[in-house]
Amino acid sequence: MFRDVTFGQYYPSNSFVHKMDARVKLLLCILFMVGIFFVTSFVGFLWVTLFLALAIGFSKVPLKSILKSVKGIVVLLVLTALLNVFFTKTGNLLVDWWIFQIYDDGLIYAGKMFLRLVYLVVGSSLLTLTTTPVDLTHGMESLLKPLRIIKFPAHELALIMSLTLSFIPSLIEETDRIIRAQKARGADFDTGGLVQRAKAFVPILIPLLVSGFRRAEELANAMNSRCYEGSTHRTKMRVQKLGWRDAVGISVVVVVFSAIFVVHATKGAWSNLVPWLYF
Amino acid sequence: MDIIQLTNVSHYYKTYDEEGNSSKVVGVENVSLSIKQGQFVALVGHNGCGKSTLAKLLNGLLLPDTGKVEVFGMDTADRSKIFEIRKNVGMVFQNPDNQMVESIVEDDVAFGPENLGIPQAEIVERVQTALQQVGMADFAKRTAHKLSGGQKQRIAIAGALAIRPNVLVLDESTAMLDPLGRKEVLGVAKQLNQSGMTVVLITHFMEEVLDADLVVVMNEGHVAKTGTPMEIFNDEQLLAEVGLQAPRAVQLAKKLHKAGWDVDSNCTDATQLGGKVCQLLRKN
Ligand SMILES: Nc1ncnc2c1ncn2[C@@H]1O[C@H](COP(=O)(O)OP(=O)(O)OP(=O)(O)O)[C@@H](O)[C@H]1O
Ligand SMILES: [Mg+2]
Repeated sequence: MFRDVTFGQYYPSNSFVHKMDARVKLLLCILFMVGIFFVTSFVGFLWVTLFLALAIGFSKVPLKSILKSVKGIVVLLVLTALLNVFFTKTGNLLVDWWIFQIYDDGLIYAGKMFLRLVYLVVGSSLLTLTTTPVDLTHGMESLLKPLRIIKFPAHELALIMSLTLSFIPSLIEETDRIIRAQKARGADFDTGGLVQRAKAFVPILIPLLVSGFRRAEELANAMNSRCYEGSTHRTKMRVQKLGWRDAVGISVVVVVFSAIFVVHATKGAWSNLVPWLYF
Repeated sequence: MDIIQLTNVSHYYKTYDEEGNSSKVVGVENVSLSIKQGQFVALVGHNGCGKSTLAKLLNGLLLPDTGKVEVFGMDTADRSKIFEIRKNVGMVFQNPDNQMVESIVEDDVAFGPENLGIPQAEIVERVQTALQQVGMADFAKRTAHKLSGGQKQRIAIAGALAIRPNVLVLDESTAMLDPLGRKEVLGVAKQLNQSGMTVVLITHFMEEVLDADLVVVMNEGHVAKTGTPMEIFNDEQLLAEVGLQAPRAVQLAKKLHKAGWDVDSNCTDATQLGGKVCQLLRKN
C-alpha cells in the first residue's frame, strides 16, 4: 500500500555525497529547500536541474530510487498543478470551454510549482538516501546541541526521530497484514460513501494501535536491558569530522544559490536587459 | 558459584476488566532457583506459564512483589545497582524487529556500549568483536530490517554481547524463526556457552533443551521441576501434567526400547537413532 515511500530509506554506497558530513548535508538541504522558492524562472530551474543532476551523479543513487519518492507525492503534484491551471486568471486566455478557462500564466505557474515540488522531494530524498537515519539524527542532534543551554532535549528528540524512522517499515508491514486479515474476514474498504469507508478503517486502526503499544513496550524493555538512561554520560561510536568533500559541497551549493538569490534580488532592475534570464 | 539466586519470588500483574475492576494475575509465584557460572540453563513451559516474567525479573525489568532476586550478590530491587545488574545480564527477546534501536547493524550493536559511556575507540572494538562472535562481521554496514530473521536475531545477540555481560538470557529468541534461523541462533548460544558465558535459554521447542546442563520446567507460574534433560524427558507424568512433549527422537527411542528393540532409551540424537534403526533392520 505505502511501500513506495522511500523517505528515510538509506541507499548504501561509498559515494562522494555519502561521505559528506551529515550536518553539512542537513544545512545544505535546508538551504536548498529555502533557495528553491526563490527560483522563479525556467532558466533558474535549469540551473537547479544541473545542480541536482550533478549531486545525484556524485551520490551514485540510482535515479529509480529517487523517482520512487516522487511517486509518493503524485497526487499532491497533480492536485497543485490542476489548481494552478484552473485558478490562475492572468495572462492570455488559451482555452475557454464551459466553466473552464485556461490562461498561459496558469500553465507557467503550474509548471513552476510542479518543478518546485518535485525538486523539493528530490532534494530531501537525496539527503535521506545518502545519509543513514542515524547520521541524520546524530547530525540534527549535534546541530541542536547548543540549545541544551535552554534545556532543549536534543538527544531525546533525535532518538525519538530515529526510532520513528526505524519503526516505519515494520509499521507499514503490520498495516498491510491487518488490512489483509480484515479483508479475509470480509471487510470492505473499497465501496460505499466516504463515511462508510472511514468507518471501515476503524478495524484497522485499533489493532494497529494495540500492536503499536506492544511494540513500544517491547522496545522499551530492549532499550532498558541495554542500559539506556537518557543522554547522561552517553558516548557516541560515530565521530563527525568535516573533510574536503564538505568544503567542495558547500562551495558548489553556495555558488549555485548565490547566483539564484542574486537573480531573484535583481529581478526588477535587470529584467529589461536580459529578459530570458527571468522567464 | 551461584551468580543468580531467586528466593521465593512472586510477581503478579494487575489487569482490569470492562467495568474497571482490577484483579491479580499470577506472573510467577514462589519461585526459587539458582544459576551457576557457565551453566546452560533451559527454561521451558507452555504459553503463559510465566517464562517471560521470570526472565524480566532477572535483570530488574520487573521487580518481585515478594521474595528476592540477587544477581552477583546485588538485589535487583536496589535501584542504585540496576545498571550494574543490566551490564551483567544481557537479554534478547522474541521479536527481532522490536528490539532494533538503530537501523544500521553496527549502530544498533553500538547502542549498549554508547549508553555505558565507553570511549569511542573501545566501542568500535566491542562492536567488531560482538559481530564476530555471532558470525555477522560482514554485515556491519547493512540495514538491519532487510536481514533474515535469524540474522536479525544474531544482531540482537551481538547488541547484548557488546555490553560484555556474564549472563545471556534469550527469551524465546528462536520462536519466530524458521528451522534454519533457529539453528543459527541456537548455534551461537551454544558456542557462547562453550566460551564461558552463562546462557539462559527460554523456549518451547524441546529439541533445544537437549544440550542444557539444567532444565527448568515451569507450569502456572511455578517451577514444576528442575533437572537434566534426561531426567525431565523420563518423567512422563510431569510432561503430561505441564503439557509438554519430549523431543521426537527421544520419544521414539523410548518406544522402541519398550517394544524390545536394542535401542538406547536415552538416545537423544535423531541421526544416531536413525542409523541404529537401519542397522537393526538390516540384521533382521
Ligand atoms: N503486562 C501484563 N499484564 C497483565 N498480565 C500479564 C502481563 N504480562 C503477562 N501477563 C500474564 O502473566 C502470565 C505469565 O506471562 P508470561 O508472559 O510470563 O508467560 P510466558 O511463559 O512468557 O508465555 P509465552 O510462552 O506466551 O511467552 C500470563 O498469564 C499472562 O497473561
Ligand atoms: Mg514469553
